[in-house]
Amino acid sequence: MKRVLKILSKVLLIGLGIYAALFAVFFFDLDGKALFYGVEPFLNKHYDRMERRDPLKMTYDMDKPHYDYKD
Amino acid sequence: MKKFDLKRLKNIDYKKLAKDFWYGKPHGERRLGDLYCDKTGLYKHREWRGVKDTMYYFNMIWLYNYGQMVADIMRYGGLKPFIKGTWRYRWMGQTYLPVLHWFDRGLEGLRGEALRASAWHYRAMVSLTIQQFMRMFRADANLNGGKHNDVWKHNIAHKETVWGGVFYPWAGKLQNVPMEMIPYFVTCHVNNHTVLNYIDAVQSIGLPGDPCPMCQAEAGLFVLDDMPDYAPFMVTSNEACDGSVASTILQDWLWDKPLFAMPQPMQFDDPLVQEHCANEIREMWKFIEDQTGIAPDMELLKKHLESQNELTRFEWEKWDVAANTSYYPINGVAQALYRIYQSQYGDNHMWHKTDKKVRKIMEKCVEQKINNFPLTRHRVIAWSCAPLYFSNWCTWAYNCWGLNTVINMDSLMFNMTIRTDNEEDMLMDMARYHEWAPMRRMAVGGMHHIFELWEYMEKFHCDMVMMYDQLQCKGMQGVHGLFEDEFRARNIHAIWMPHALPDKRTVSRSEIRTIINDYMTTVMHEEPIDPSLLEFDDSQSW
Amino acid sequence: MRDLKHLIFFEDLLQEANNDLVKQAKTDGKRCLGYTCYFMPEVLLDLPGCFGVRLRAPRSGSPDMATYYMSNRTCHYGRSLMERALEGGYNFLDAQMATETCTVTCRFQEHLQQKKIDSVTDMNIIQNPDFFCEFIDVPFKKNENGYEHYRKQLQFHVLDKLKENFGIDTSDEALLKTIETHNEVCRLITEIGSYRKLDVPTITGYEFQVIQLVSLVCPKYLILPYLRETAEEMKTRKPDAKPNYRCKVVLAGAENDDPAFTQLIESCGALVVADRHCYGSLPGREEIVVAEGQAPLDAIARHYLNTSYCPRFMPADEMRQRKQYLADLAKEYKADGMIVVSNKFCEYWSYERTIDAIILPRDFGIPTCSIEKEYVNSASGQLRTRFQAFIESVEIKKIQEGAKK
Repeated sequence: MKRVLKILSKVLLIGLGIYAALFAVFFFDLDGKALFYGVEPFLNKHYDRMERRDPLKMTYDMDKPHYDYKD
Repeated sequence: MKKFDLKRLKNIDYKKLAKDFWYGKPHGERRLGDLYCDKTGLYKHREWRGVKDTMYYFNMIWLYNYGQMVADIMRYGGLKPFIKGTWRYRWMGQTYLPVLHWFDRGLEGLRGEALRASAWHYRAMVSLTIQQFMRMFRADANLNGGKHNDVWKHNIAHKETVWGGVFYPWAGKLQNVPMEMIPYFVTCHVNNHTVLNYIDAVQSIGLPGDPCPMCQAEAGLFVLDDMPDYAPFMVTSNEACDGSVASTILQDWLWDKPLFAMPQPMQFDDPLVQEHCANEIREMWKFIEDQTGIAPDMELLKKHLESQNELTRFEWEKWDVAANTSYYPINGVAQALYRIYQSQYGDNHMWHKTDKKVRKIMEKCVEQKINNFPLTRHRVIAWSCAPLYFSNWCTWAYNCWGLNTVINMDSLMFNMTIRTDNEEDMLMDMARYHEWAPMRRMAVGGMHHIFELWEYMEKFHCDMVMMYDQLQCKGMQGVHGLFEDEFRARNIHAIWMPHALPDKRTVSRSEIRTIINDYMTTVMHEEPIDPSLLEFDDSQSW
Repeated sequence: MRDLKHLIFFEDLLQEANNDLVKQAKTDGKRCLGYTCYFMPEVLLDLPGCFGVRLRAPRSGSPDMATYYMSNRTCHYGRSLMERALEGGYNFLDAQMATETCTVTCRFQEHLQQKKIDSVTDMNIIQNPDFFCEFIDVPFKKNENGYEHYRKQLQFHVLDKLKENFGIDTSDEALLKTIETHNEVCRLITEIGSYRKLDVPTITGYEFQVIQLVSLVCPKYLILPYLRETAEEMKTRKPDAKPNYRCKVVLAGAENDDPAFTQLIESCGALVVADRHCYGSLPGREEIVVAEGQAPLDAIARHYLNTSYCPRFMPADEMRQRKQYLADLAKEYKADGMIVVSNKFCEYWSYERTIDAIILPRDFGIPTCSIEKEYVNSASGQLRTRFQAFIESVEIKKIQEGAKK
C-alpha cells in the first residue's frame, strides 16, 4: 500500500512538475518564442530551397471538353 | 544600478494587488500594450486575467486546444500525412504551427463568459481547418509519389467561394474540400507572412499589382506549386467578383483538371435569374455524377440542408441577443470569422457541437444579465470586406477605445433558411442562398444592397461604422463617394479603414490603428481606455 | 496612300459622344440609347424609333469629380465615362441599357440609375426627364442554360422596356428588319477590314479603328451611306509604293476606343492589322444569321454569346479557345506579333494578358508585347519606348528567320 502511495505521489509530483513547466511555457509565451525564432525560420529556409515545378512549362492544351447538360 | 527603495514597498496597496491577482486588473487600469515584445507581437508574458480566467485560458484554451489539435490530426489521418504535408507546403508549416497565437490576438483582454464563448468559436474553426488539410494530405498525389489513391478519387475540389452546401447530395460519399480556404484564406488570419509568397509569385509571371490581392494569392498558390493534388476535378464560381473569374484562368492552366464552371447570376433580385442559377447547380451535379459515377442523393441533400437550417436559426438567435441586449458573449472577431467560415463551408458536426456550448453560455449571460463588454462606448457595425491580416482589430479597438464591434457585413450574408418540403423550392432557395455569398450579397446586384448598412445599423443599435476600404476592391471603390455623401447627410460617424485584404505591406496594422486613434481623438475627442495600446510596433508579428 | 474621302468627317464624329449624326437622329425624333458593352446587343437598340450609342468619353482629361465618387483605384475608362456624365456630356441619352459585365462600368451605370429608394440619394446625373437605366444579367457560359437565360433577359429588360417606355415596335418583323441593316454594317466593316489581310494592306489600323468606332457611336441609318462609299473607295485604293511599317501586329486586349493609341503604335513602325479588343471589330462585326423557323431574338442571343471571346467566360474550353482565336487571327492577318493591352485596374484583362504573354510566344511562336495603359494615355513617351523596342525585336527576329531560310 505504502509503495502504491509512494508511486502515486511520485506520479502526482511528476505530473505537477510537468503541469507547472507547461504553465511556465504558456505564461512566458515560450511556445510562441520557439516558433517565431526557431521553427518558422528553419521551415522557411527549407521551403525557400525546395525544388519546385516551373509553372511556365505547364502545357496548355486547347482540346478541353465542353460541358453542357441541358436536356 | 537603481537603488532598491524600501519606501516604495511601503506605498504598495497590497489589498489592491491581491485583488488584481485574484480577479485580474480591470479594464481601464490594465496596460495590455506593455506585454508585447517589440516588433514581433510576442508576449513578454501572456496576460494575467485573474486566477480563474488565467487558469481557464491555460487549461481550456491553451492546453485543451494543443491537445485537441493533436487528437484531430490523429482522428483525421494520423501523423504521417501531417508531417509530410508540413514538410511539403509552406502554407502549412509556416502558418498553422503558431495557431495558439491567433487565439491570443483575438481573445486579448477578454474575461468570463466572453472569453469562453469566443474561444469555442476558435476551437471549431481550428478543427474544421484540420479536417480539411488532413483530407488534402491523405489524398495528395504530390505526397504519394504521384499516385491517385482512393481518397483522391473521392474528393471534390472547388473554389473557396463556392458554398459547400451544393455538395450535400454526396455527403459521406464524396468529400468537398475548397482549394484555397486552408492554403490561403485561413492562413492570412493566423500568420500573415505566408500569403506574401503567393502574391509575389503570381506577380513574378507578369500579373500587375492592382487586381484584388485575394485572387492574386489564390492564383499564386498554383504558380508557386504549393497546391496539393488532392482531387480529380474542380468546380469554379464567379463569386465574389471579376478577379475570381479571372484568376481561374491561371488556376485552370496550372492545375489542368476537368473544370466545371458554375456561375451565379449578378442581378440576383431579378426573379428571372433564379431558374438559371438552379439549372447551373443541377448541371454541376450531373458533371460530378459523370466524373465519379456516383449519383446525387436528394435525401442526403435534404437532411443536411435541414441541419444547416438549424445553424442559421441559432445564428439569428445570436443576432437577436447582439442587437437588443448588452449581454452578447461573442467578440467581434470571433463572430465574424466563425460565421463566415460556417456559412461558407456548410454543415459539419463541429458547428453543431460548438453552437450547443455557445447557446448555454449565451443563455446564462441573458438570464443573469452579464454584460460582457462593460466599457462599450460605441456600438460599431463593420461594413464591407475586412483586412484578413488584422481581423483582430476589433479586439484591439474595444480594449483601447471601447469600440465594440457588434456585427459585421460578412455575418449578414447567407441570411436565410432553405425550404426542404419539395425539390423545386429547395433548389430555388439553394440558388438564392448561393447568390447571397460573402462579399457578394451586398456588393453586386445593384448598389442599393451595399446601402442596406443603414437598416442594419438601426437593427443592431449601432452608432458608429467601421468602413472597410479594401483598396483593390473595384466594386467598393466604385461607390466610395456616395458613401461619403450619405455619411455626411445622415450625420454618421464612420471611420474609413484602408487595407489590402491579405497584404499587410500596402497598409500595415500600425497604420490602421493610427487612423482609428486619430479619428477617436480629433473627431470624437475621446481618451483611450488603455493608452498602452495606442502605439506599438508589431510589424513582424504573425 | 491617298486619304480616305470621309476620314476627317469620321474623325470629327469621334470628337463628341453627342456628335452631329446623333443630334440629327434626335431631331428625327429617335430615342437615343447608351450602352458600354458588347453583351448589350446593339442590334436591339437600333430598332425603328431608337438607336444605340456605345459610350465614349473623347478628349477626356483628369476625371476629378468621378475620382471623388469612384476613387482613383478604379479603371480610368469607367471613371472617364462617369466624369463625362457628371459634366452633362450624356444628357442626350434617353436611356442607358446597362450590363453588370465588369465591375467598374457597372458601378458607373448604377450611378446613372434613378433608384428611388431611401437608402441612397439619387444623383440625377442625366438631365433628361424620360431617362431610365435598365440592367440585364449576362451569363458566363455558352451553354443552353446560358442562351435561354440571356434571351429572357433581353426580352424582359430590353425589348419590353423599350416598348413600355418609348412605344418601340419590338415585333419579330421589326427585329428582322433591324438585323438586315445591322448585317449590312457588319458586312461593310468586315469588307473594309479585310484589306488588312493583304500582303501589303491598303488601310492602316488607325483608319480602320476610326471607321469601326463611328459604326458603334452613330445611328446606323445615318452612317451607312458613308460606310458604303468608303467600302467602294477601298476597292481601288492602292498601297504606298514603299510601305512605311516594319512589321504587322494584332492589337488585342481590354476596352480601347482611342484611335490615338493605335496611331501611337503605328508611329513606332508597326501596322495594326487586327483589332481584337472591346470596341474592336474582331469579334463584333460578324453577321447575325437567323435560321429558318428560328425566332430572331433567339438568333441574336446565341450570336452575341457565341461570337464573344470576353475573358469573363468561365469554362476551360472557352478560356483556352481565346488563345487559339488570337493565334488564328495572327495567322489570318499575317501578323508578325501581338500587342496585348489591358487597362490599369481591369481585373479580367490583367490575368488574360498575363497568360497571353506566356502562351502565345511559347505555344504559337508569336512575339507578344504586354502593355498596361490608361484610358487617356498621357504617358505616351513610356509606351513609345516599349513599342519601339518590341517592333525592333520582331524585326530582328524576321531578319534572323530570313537569314536561316
